[in-house]
Amino acid sequence: MDPTQLVLQAELGDWEFVWRQRQFFVDGTVLAVKLTFFSILLGFVLGLPAGVVEAYGGTYSKGVVRPVGVVVRGTPILVIISLTYFAGGISPAFTAATIALGVRSAAYQSQIFRGAIESVESGQMEAARAVGLSKLDAIRHVVLPQALRRSVPGFQNEFTIVLKDTSIAYAIGVAELLKRSYDLFSIQTTAALEVFLAASLIYFVLTFSVNRGIERLHNYVAIPGGNH
Amino acid sequence: MADPLLDVDDVHQSYGDEQVLEGITFEMERQDVKVLVGPSGSGKSTMLRCVNRLTDIDDGDIRLDGESVYDMDADDLRRQVGMVFQDFNLFAHLTAIENVTLGLKRVLGLSEREATEKAAWQLEQVGLREQANSYPAELSGGQKQRVGIARALAMDPKLMLFDEPTSALDPELIGEVLEVMRELADEGMTMLVVTHEMGFAKQAATDVLFLDDGKLVEQGPPEQLFENPENERTAAFLSRLTQLHGGQ
Amino acid sequence: MSRNTQTVVRNGILTVFWAWFGARLLNDWFGGVVVPVGQPFFDPQPVADAAAALRDSAAGLGAVGAPLDVAGDVLGSASFAMTYLPDLAAGAWLTVVLTTLGIAFGVVLAVPLAAARVYGRVTRWVSLAFIELIRGTPLLAQLFVLYYALPLSRWIAAVPFVGTSVVPAQAVWVAIVGFTINSAAYQAEYIRGSIEGVDPGQLTAARAIGLSQIQGIRYVVLPQALRFAIPSWTNELVYLVKYSSLASFITVAELYHAAEAAAYDNYRFLDLFLLAAVVYVLLVLSATTTMEWVRKRVAIPGVGGSAGGRTSAD
Repeated sequence: MDPTQLVLQAELGDWEFVWRQRQFFVDGTVLAVKLTFFSILLGFVLGLPAGVVEAYGGTYSKGVVRPVGVVVRGTPILVIISLTYFAGGISPAFTAATIALGVRSAAYQSQIFRGAIESVESGQMEAARAVGLSKLDAIRHVVLPQALRRSVPGFQNEFTIVLKDTSIAYAIGVAELLKRSYDLFSIQTTAALEVFLAASLIYFVLTFSVNRGIERLHNYVAIPGGNH
Repeated sequence: MADPLLDVDDVHQSYGDEQVLEGITFEMERQDVKVLVGPSGSGKSTMLRCVNRLTDIDDGDIRLDGESVYDMDADDLRRQVGMVFQDFNLFAHLTAIENVTLGLKRVLGLSEREATEKAAWQLEQVGLREQANSYPAELSGGQKQRVGIARALAMDPKLMLFDEPTSALDPELIGEVLEVMRELADEGMTMLVVTHEMGFAKQAATDVLFLDDGKLVEQGPPEQLFENPENERTAAFLSRLTQLHGGQ
Repeated sequence: MSRNTQTVVRNGILTVFWAWFGARLLNDWFGGVVVPVGQPFFDPQPVADAAAALRDSAAGLGAVGAPLDVAGDVLGSASFAMTYLPDLAAGAWLTVVLTTLGIAFGVVLAVPLAAARVYGRVTRWVSLAFIELIRGTPLLAQLFVLYYALPLSRWIAAVPFVGTSVVPAQAVWVAIVGFTINSAAYQAEYIRGSIEGVDPGQLTAARAIGLSQIQGIRYVVLPQALRFAIPSWTNELVYLVKYSSLASFITVAELYHAAEAAAYDNYRFLDLFLLAAVVYVLLVLSATTTMEWVRKRVAIPGVGGSAGGRTSAD
């Protein structure tokens, strides 16, 4: 038999193998999306107040929030995930991964929000106070509505990072896409390229769609006539 | 005798080592329109911002209706004193009418309907009924400043502060803002105005106050200050300013 | 703390860290000059004894002894760090190697990619496709493709000297290839952004005095653009320091791998991962401090940089 034909058959066989296991990939994708969603959500809940504190806080509140942020941002996500799961003993692994990715995301989201808040002209705060709004009300009704709009583009980056980093939950055995690909690869080692390319393709489609979605959201919430 | 509406009593203020205000004293009765003039850096804007405590003073006192502004809650004080800014500072994410209703709802506690009615009326007063639902970025400079005035007036202030309200405007848009301010003065609003518009000072001011280097050099009715100034510096400054911004 | 004291404290900590790190590596590379390979410079036992003594006396004092107990814990952590830091040093060295080679080889690929993206016609689309595909997929998946699916490691293993003496083994080279490709895609985007940030009038003016397009880019646009890109480069360096930990998945014995291996020996996962985190943070701080120094060195009035990059802001 012609050897080139054999290679071709083997390759076809490997793609077929991937296709037959498609449900396995779909389940992994659903898990990756869930993990991303809950991590970003946790990151928002913790990151928004942290960003407000970094922008407006006093010496002490800033003195706590800032160094914590620096340390979390300076530590690899792999170490953070391992700390929550192996050392922190948080289980199941999905919860540990959500907490790890969420806390790390909060440290970055706080910077998105701090930057957006600081980009709102100081005159806005002053005018709000001049009308008689309290500082908290001024932040809530005048500064934050503008800052949140300006922070939307920053989320393209943040979503992409979190989505891709769900793959690192592999380290603690969360059955997301990459873990499943690895499992498939260990069943049929000739299919390594096909399996990992398939997983990569799914990640790519996800990050691409999220980015386009965020662009649409940004246009949707834009203030008429404004350039932010 | 009743207390004056505003009593500025020997006010000192400094940024770091630099003395900005060195003992300013003047009073305002109800319905007074006082115009602060002086070279840039003379402390005019700082003086305004001390009145509603956007800036704190080092020494002296400021009393509104006989009560020290430092004995009052700052938010409560600001509710009673309206302020109009040089660069408008309209809330960029809110429409013209929402700019006006925000304070009515959040500070005065009016219902959505009451606030909207009042804001609509106020915008009509400044000639902006048509623009009520436009966002700030969709308005001209003169329209923005009129929204700024409406936003302050809607709170029914006892006193209005104007911080160079026409300095950021193109020349052809200055007139519409000054017109609104003149009408307001005619209706009896008490106003403290920092401006270079000498035409407005001559027509509408009860008194002109000349500040230089943190000190109140001279004050008096406009005809006196413009025609018979006691101080040389006042004379030199006002004649130069009248040449530049004499208009109208 | 004022900004000045913060800088002094940071520089002090980094100096101590690098003095130790340098001494450690030299000692181990030359077969144990001062102390045997992998052995601590100072015996941690007295510190551990002192910690135990403090804890004992704290227990005797009850509630009053709480501060002593805390002091005991601090000393306990110190003796732990003294014992295990030598194990982490070799791993940290690999982390540094992966990071610096990844960013250095990456920039060599990135400049032509960025130039193609801005000035190319057909190459613009090739460059765009490469950049988007790499940036849209996880680094870990890329490493898996390179390590498990391609015959890369077999080819590298066939190269003489790989895996002998100071030349790292093939997995390390696969990781370096991975980081180079990944980093090239990101760096190309930063450089593209910086090129586009340069006023187009600059290139027109360069052409007007008779420079060719390439010369104009080389002598006028790039010198400005590369300065604009410094903040993004800082972020890229920080990113690589942290994500070099993923090389542990393809058996590279870098810092995370070293900490994990030690933890499987003594089951002190918390302590070892925290210790690794401290070393990572110190490496990250070293990177940002160095880049800040570079930025100041090459700064030209009026040609500044604003932060960008894949980390949102750091």
